[in-house]
Amino acid sequence: MRNVPALLRREMNAYFASVLGYIVLIFFLLVMGVTFAVIVSYLMRGPTQMTAMRIMFSMFWLPSLVVTPMITMRLLAEEKRSGTIEMLMTAPVTEFEVVFAKWLGAVLLYALMWGLTGVYVLILHKFSGGTAALDLGPIASGYLGVLLIGQFLIAVGVLMSSLTKNQVAAAVMSFAVCFAFLLVLNWMDYLFQGGVVNKLLKSVSAFEQMEDFARGIVDLRVVFLYLSGTLWTLFVTTRVVESRKWR
Amino acid sequence: MIKVENLTKRYAGVAALNGVSFEVNRGEIVGFLGPNGAGKSTTMRILTGFIPASTGRATVAGCDVFEDSLEVRRHIGYMPENNPLYVDMRVGEYLKFRAQIKGVARSERRDRVKEVMEKTGITDVEKRVIGQLSKGYRQRVGLADALLHEPDLLILDEPTIGLDPVQIRQVRELIKELGKQHTILLSTHILPEVEMTCNRVIIIHRGKILASDTPENLRKTLHAGGAINVEVRGPQAEVRAALQAVPGVVSAQVTAEVDGLVRVAVESQGNEDPREAIYQAIVKGGWTLRELSRSRTTLEDIFVQLTREEDEAEEDRRDQRRTVLR
Repeated sequence: MRNVPALLRREMNAYFASVLGYIVLIFFLLVMGVTFAVIVSYLMRGPTQMTAMRIMFSMFWLPSLVVTPMITMRLLAEEKRSGTIEMLMTAPVTEFEVVFAKWLGAVLLYALMWGLTGVYVLILHKFSGGTAALDLGPIASGYLGVLLIGQFLIAVGVLMSSLTKNQVAAAVMSFAVCFAFLLVLNWMDYLFQGGVVNKLLKSVSAFEQMEDFARGIVDLRVVFLYLSGTLWTLFVTTRVVESRKWR
Repeated sequence: MIKVENLTKRYAGVAALNGVSFEVNRGEIVGFLGPNGAGKSTTMRILTGFIPASTGRATVAGCDVFEDSLEVRRHIGYMPENNPLYVDMRVGEYLKFRAQIKGVARSERRDRVKEVMEKTGITDVEKRVIGQLSKGYRQRVGLADALLHEPDLLILDEPTIGLDPVQIRQVRELIKELGKQHTILLSTHILPEVEMTCNRVIIIHRGKILASDTPENLRKTLHAGGAINVEVRGPQAEVRAALQAVPGVVSAQVTAEVDGLVRVAVESQGNEDPREAIYQAIVKGGWTLRELSRSRTTLEDIFVQLTREEDEAEEDRRDQRRTVLR
């Protein structure tokens, strides 16, 4: 893993040397900003059970679904299309180092995007006059949940990007997989009322998990599920990049 | 430096390499010559560890290219075909990144980058974005990158492809200059390039090595005497007969006759040069000699001849197989 810092720096450079990094940031902040404004004006109408940040976190899937394919589609597909993968893989670096650095770069960008929404917490604090108790625990665990689910979706995106030379195809595939994982799995709930299947679906449903995180519950089983899911996905991606050797 | 034994590579059942063996010694500049699709890039990709061979063995600096791939990569400076670069990076930035992943020590990095930029003449474009550079400059960035970690061996796949004539000359000069310190294996399908830059040629065709020698020796062994052109004022039949009778001449064919001037193409044998004897024969006949010249065989002739022989042999084998099947 000696080469990861150098590879990572190149990845971060690539995001901000092209317009992609800025476009994604602007898009994300625009959507989140509007959402935040709507939530706040909704809460102005009267007292509710919900806190502003909890509603924010329950909306996590919308930007994730669009943003993760956008920041991952380029990663390996473009290297393959332009042939730079040959330059990369004939330097003394391993396939896993490359895949890991690309994943980490995307996760850092994702973390930066969500990190910027921390401003909302400051806004809430300031304008509630400091009287409304801003419970930092659930906010922190909410961010943890967002990061945990996001980094897994990014790993999926990196895998999809390794399967094709075509960026658009990579984006469509990772959108489809993320869509299935986030929403279809959730809707299947209605098909299986009660029973073991329903329980199983609930335990892997990102919505249910996010609900918990936003309430301040950190379930270590969920943490473990996502981390091992990522590790497995990155491993498969590495094998896909290596596959040129056994074809 | 490079030792390749019986390398084969099959893509989905189609053989790209078919039992290739050769050696490259330290300090040589070897040209890998062959038409498109002959297996040049495949061989280079195997040597650099990008893809493995189906069977056979290859070592670079004593290390097996498959077993010890990372170590081999540290010995090789490679420029792939079409020279892919990160077009969104600046030249200096890119070279710094490459130096890092090639394991150049932090303390030497800045000096190494500066040195290779000077060597390849790209110091003045250090701050430019690679995507905006001309092809000639990009090629030099690729070369600079290949040189970064002071490799023993440079592998350059079609280093002059797509350049204009001035750029081609510059890149060739650069390669020649680099040849003083590095072992170089370069591939090309342009024949004069090999004659100008390399001290040994390996001719590859359809995944097989057809010849490996210096350009001079190839000429000698394959087509030594070559053709001799004679132009004489005299009677056609007699001239032809007289030339045919000269010792060392294999055949004499009249190619043209205009206003009493006879042009004869004389084929000589082996290493003999019968030009003096031809002159004597013409003097003896009492004719006037207007031209007596030897057309030097070019590498191109050798190449065409070798590949044609191989193609014909292949054709024969196929015919035989067909006959057997019937």
